[in-house]
Amino acid sequence: MRNILSTRVLKVVATLLIAVFSAPLSAYDVEGDAANGKSLFNANCASCHKLDKKLVGPALGDVTERRELDWLLSWIKDNAALRASGDADAIAIFEEYNGSVMTAFPQLSDQDIYDILAYTIEGNQKAAPVVAGASGAAVAAAPEKDYSVPVIIGLSLFLAFLISILYTVKNTLKVVKGDPTSNFLDDAGFWTRTVVKSQPFIVIAIIVVSVTLLQQTYYGLMSVGMSTGYQPEQPIAFSHKVHAGENQVDCNYCHSSARHSASSGIPSTNVCMNCHMYIDGSEITDERGNLKYDGERSPEIAKIYAAIGWNPEERAYIEDYEQKAVKWIRIHNLPDLAYFNHAQHVKAGQVECQTCHGPIEEMEEVYQHADLSMGWCINCHRETKVQVETNGYYAGLHEQLKEKYGDEPITVEKIGGLECGKCHY
Amino acid sequence: MAEQKQYWKGMAELDGSVSTSELGKKEFPGEIPMEDFLGDAQSLENGSTSRRDFLKYLGFSTAAATMAACEAPIIESIPYVVKPDELIPGVPSYYASSFYDGHDFASVLIKTREGRPIKLEPNTDSPFNGGTNARVQGSVLSLYDNGRLKEPMKGGEATDQAAFDTEVRSKLDAANRVVVLAHSVSSPSYKKMMSEWISANPNVGFIQYDSVDHSGKLDAWEQMTGVRAMPSVDMASARVIVAVGSDFLSSLNGQSVSKGYAVRREPGKDMSRHYQFESNMSLAGANADHRVRVKASEQAQVLLALYNEIAAKTGGSPLNKAKLGTAAKSMIGQAAQDLLGARGASLVINGVNDASAEMLAAGINRMLENEGRTVRMDERLYIRNGNEAALQSLIKDMKAGAVDVLIMDRVNPVYDRAEFAEALEGVAYSVCLTDRMDETAKLSDAVFPSTHYMESWSDQMPKDGFLGLTQPVIRPLFPASRPAEESLMAFAGMSGTYYDYIKKHLSPTLSSRGISWSKMVHDGFAAVEMGGSAGDMSLDGAQLAQAAAAVGAMKASEYEIAFYEKEGMGTGSMSNNPWLQEMPDPITRTSWDNYLTMSPADALSLGVTNSHQQDGSMKGTKVNIEVNGASLNDVPVLIQPGQAQGTFGLAVGYGRTDAGKAGNGIGHNAYALMKDAGMWAGAKVTASDAEEHEFACIQLHHTMMGRQIVKEVGLETFLNEPAKGKGGWNNRTEFETHKGPLSPDETNLWQDFDHETGHFWNLSIDLNKCLGCGACVIACHAENNVPVVGKDEVRRSRDMHWLRIDRYYSSDMTDERAEEEGIGAIDKFKGMEDPAVEPQVVFQPVMCQHCNHAPCETVCPVAATSHSAEGLNHMAYNRCIGTRYCANNCPYKVRRFNWFLYHENQDQFDVNYAMNDDLGKMVLNPDVTVRSRGVMEKCSMCVQRTQYGKLEAKKQSRPLRDGEVQTACAQACETGALVFGDANDGDSKIAAAKKDERMYYLLDEVGTQPSVFYQTKVRNQA
Repeated sequence: MRNILSTRVLKVVATLLIAVFSAPLSAYDVEGDAANGKSLFNANCASCHKLDKKLVGPALGDVTERRELDWLLSWIKDNAALRASGDADAIAIFEEYNGSVMTAFPQLSDQDIYDILAYTIEGNQKAAPVVAGASGAAVAAAPEKDYSVPVIIGLSLFLAFLISILYTVKNTLKVVKGDPTSNFLDDAGFWTRTVVKSQPFIVIAIIVVSVTLLQQTYYGLMSVGMSTGYQPEQPIAFSHKVHAGENQVDCNYCHSSARHSASSGIPSTNVCMNCHMYIDGSEITDERGNLKYDGERSPEIAKIYAAIGWNPEERAYIEDYEQKAVKWIRIHNLPDLAYFNHAQHVKAGQVECQTCHGPIEEMEEVYQHADLSMGWCINCHRETKVQVETNGYYAGLHEQLKEKYGDEPITVEKIGGLECGKCHY
Repeated sequence: MAEQKQYWKGMAELDGSVSTSELGKKEFPGEIPMEDFLGDAQSLENGSTSRRDFLKYLGFSTAAATMAACEAPIIESIPYVVKPDELIPGVPSYYASSFYDGHDFASVLIKTREGRPIKLEPNTDSPFNGGTNARVQGSVLSLYDNGRLKEPMKGGEATDQAAFDTEVRSKLDAANRVVVLAHSVSSPSYKKMMSEWISANPNVGFIQYDSVDHSGKLDAWEQMTGVRAMPSVDMASARVIVAVGSDFLSSLNGQSVSKGYAVRREPGKDMSRHYQFESNMSLAGANADHRVRVKASEQAQVLLALYNEIAAKTGGSPLNKAKLGTAAKSMIGQAAQDLLGARGASLVINGVNDASAEMLAAGINRMLENEGRTVRMDERLYIRNGNEAALQSLIKDMKAGAVDVLIMDRVNPVYDRAEFAEALEGVAYSVCLTDRMDETAKLSDAVFPSTHYMESWSDQMPKDGFLGLTQPVIRPLFPASRPAEESLMAFAGMSGTYYDYIKKHLSPTLSSRGISWSKMVHDGFAAVEMGGSAGDMSLDGAQLAQAAAAVGAMKASEYEIAFYEKEGMGTGSMSNNPWLQEMPDPITRTSWDNYLTMSPADALSLGVTNSHQQDGSMKGTKVNIEVNGASLNDVPVLIQPGQAQGTFGLAVGYGRTDAGKAGNGIGHNAYALMKDAGMWAGAKVTASDAEEHEFACIQLHHTMMGRQIVKEVGLETFLNEPAKGKGGWNNRTEFETHKGPLSPDETNLWQDFDHETGHFWNLSIDLNKCLGCGACVIACHAENNVPVVGKDEVRRSRDMHWLRIDRYYSSDMTDERAEEEGIGAIDKFKGMEDPAVEPQVVFQPVMCQHCNHAPCETVCPVAATSHSAEGLNHMAYNRCIGTRYCANNCPYKVRRFNWFLYHENQDQFDVNYAMNDDLGKMVLNPDVTVRSRGVMEKCSMCVQRTQYGKLEAKKQSRPLRDGEVQTACAQACETGALVFGDANDGDSKIAAAKKDERMYYLLDEVGTQPSVFYQTKVRNQA
């Protein structure tokens, strides 16, 4: 959470700083809110335009230098009408791009367009390093591993070792001196000696130690085969945080079969290409707001291109390319003997993905959230209510169940969700 | 005073038979193979490993294994690069197609998962052969047979397609005479292709033949109608059926008639009556109301006698007299009377492959006014087109060296025609298009692998007015293979693919009827006429007299042999299919074998025996057979109740030498005994000295021993007497209690489950409609990943079929007869064990009965088997520890134990290639667990299907519809004997079946309250 917040803070600060300090470089000033412009740009324009390079349509970073404001307004709102009016520039650009028609945006107000244009001006200057002052907040976000437990254990062992050496030395000296040797207890105070030597203390201590050991052994054994937290390194450093979190891509967009099938489906590479045909990662910034790959294509996204055979320079699929599947590492592994169906849970049960997969939209790298043990499944089946009210399948059954259970909630358990054969066959 | 009573454990002990006393002494029926297990004893004693060392190693390896197990394996999850639009991983797709292998035709739906075909389902929309028999169901496994040929072969060496085609073409160019030999072809495009080739190259000849010949019958129809095709029949309109030597329920000239037959087996006033005259006990005979045993040579005589009988009554002129015994004569009189009573709605079926016999049958059907009604000359069949005379003359020509190039398209004449191997030597260049290196391919000069029907396009016209289309559902698994038709096109110098050829050929016909190509592909069939007009049948007195004379001249022998097809194996082309090999024959209940069936009386006179072994298996004497100068030695004999005395039966389709690892060396090749493909002949049989044969027979009890396992009632009783109440024919068991008589439901110790709420899955089995064909057994195999265990394990009764079809013979001994004749209890029960000389047969499919008070559930120490609210008995494999208490406590004996690891265990279960071969494994149903060693399994009532159906309804937010969910067995059942559904759905078929007065529970008195119930069998006897 901290991570996300800090990144957002950073972005807002950076945007504000840019807004204040950047000098207008364009031929004319555009009165607009670049922040709003950015979101409008991303929603409406980004699938065909980039600021710094040609995509489906021309690069827009310097569009205010190239075109008059009025022309831009009428072009963006209805380019077909502008072309029909015989505007030479409009026809020229239409022909330059082989007659591909740009979507008309009559829904955008003038102010919206000003905002977008303001963003194109500012965004175009972003390639330059951002003012250093903004970076302070971001540094704290670096993740820290907790080493306290092993350090404490190690230190105590080391101390114990030192003590035993000290005693050996002490006793050796005593032997040399001819004095009787002594141990730790002899040297300890009266109370310590009494307590340690008392039978009740010994009995209680043994009980406490053995119970703790047994408990730990039990938990240890019960966790055999559980892979909670399993976080393998994937062939592509895909970030659910970026996709599902920051960009709010619906889970079902990529995992489209979750609603239809037992398997949620790892998206096929062509699904990635729906977006990544246009987004090549060159705009990804790091925490400081610097371009992560120096404006070059992201090497991770290049892996998608390599898999499917896309030539980003020519913006075309390579013919007769030998496609290579991406071999993801499966994280959530149920044993073959258990049958799990995504559609049953996602579509019929209306269960959120996060219920089992955890805060997936915050995971940079996905890890296994739940332990996926049978007890965990069963527990959920005991507590989760069935969609008896809304799903037509249950219409008749619901009446019968109401009669049988009265006002009690109808849980999965009550419709046989704990029976062996519902999952094991 | 203690009495000195002696108790005996059963009849066998009282008899004092050796096996029981031996069994009493030891716990295990066979010796425990300690030496095999531990290695030889001596080296064991001399070994240096002490007990202490052993324990150390054991401890260390256990610890090491435990440590190793903690490491989870890394599992990859590989998505498509470009996912096909029509495919969602995890959701099955269905494609309509047609199955035709030159023998069986079926309209099917092919279920695919992630692009793999895994199951065949009947295309119930199809008006012709829209059902699947066991062989069709099993054909999906043959696709994944790794024994298929992968590369084109030339002189025993692999070659490539271009070189292959060049060589064949050069040979063809140089040849004076070329012959293409194929099985019956029903494809309009194939016929067109051949005629184009022949018209361009008149030196090319085209010959069709059938492994099991039908040309005698075809000759008759060619004479009578001018067209070499047999009529189809309308079985649903036949009120009286008389079949002579025809196993028409397996297949009637390629037409599947069981659905129509079953329509008339619905008990009531319109129920059909079925007479069967035959030598071997066939499936049709087993279902007949009256079955008469006649020798093979007498079958044609029966038709002659029947003709005369009917002619006499209708004022026709009789033909010469038939030579027949009195028993058959009296039944013929009765049959004739019934036939005459149902003029125009009766049917006489001839199964004898002889023109004269077929003409007599046609003559009878004409006298009975069945022409155009039950016998449909306007809808002729094109599934059997073989011409044996042409084949025989080809063999002569080949021997004489008059054939330069012989192209054999998916036929195996070296296996199924005795003289062919020798004749093939006289052919300069032979080309074989085949799916495997079979007997014929081995002797051919060039062999090209042909694709499976699921990998290729083709069209079929099995019947006038019906066009079927076969479409590929998977890319060829072996890229070097190609459809046989495309090979032929390449040889003929035609360009393009066969798909384009079919499309071009069919399109004008289809579009003229407003059927688009897409619709044709979608439906898999279309009602389309393509050439051929209804020919009238001309049959005059002279022809009939000639036929009668020919029949009269047929010579009988003392002993005869009649060849037949088994339900599982057919002609033997699918011999390497372990599902079909392991399917127990419906009649003999024996798998992995063929054998000489012999009547008990003949067995006695020839000194042949079948004996039951200590371990519950069966052994039998072997005999040597000599027919037409050919001989087969050491053929085992199975004593078959109901077999005609003086005639032996031997199934074709076995004795393959080059079929593959599952089919090689199983049984004996009956084709070797045939002369000119004749289906019966005089035979000499002598007992052989060879060691006794070990059968894999899974049912040694022939009779029900007076118990009501299958309830049966006569039609008259059924119609006129009450089912329930005093003297009712279907009363429930009642127990006398202090509260008065109570049903088993009311006198139990257990708490009842709530089965009013939600679904209550029930299965009804109509014993009147179950013909015993076994399609359900193979469907269950495919659906539920049931392992094949091989002959040795089946012998030990360790077969894994979740669904078995018990077959019982009636016995001459009944309680009533014993009382009348004053026969004592011991003799009575002894007599009840023996089947009658003329037994009636009943079939009873038994799977897990899903008891609602299940005996298995109460004895499981780990609660691995438990009950569901939907009336199913669940089995959690991963919980099972293999005590087998449940199997022992199951009154129906339907639980199956995994004695071995049947998958990933190539050393022991190589034949089970569906689980031990990477290619074979593709057939496994991904929705069903593959069970491991040491766990119990049993019928789950296809819980994966009920769960799937429920989920589909939930996804669409609607109630589940009746019939939407089907178990694999119910779906495969063509006759509708199995009905599955939710008994709590008041309008469902199953709810109606549950209220039917014929309904009863198997072993009701045990009080298990099963979810499976049966419908009493009704027999329509005169």
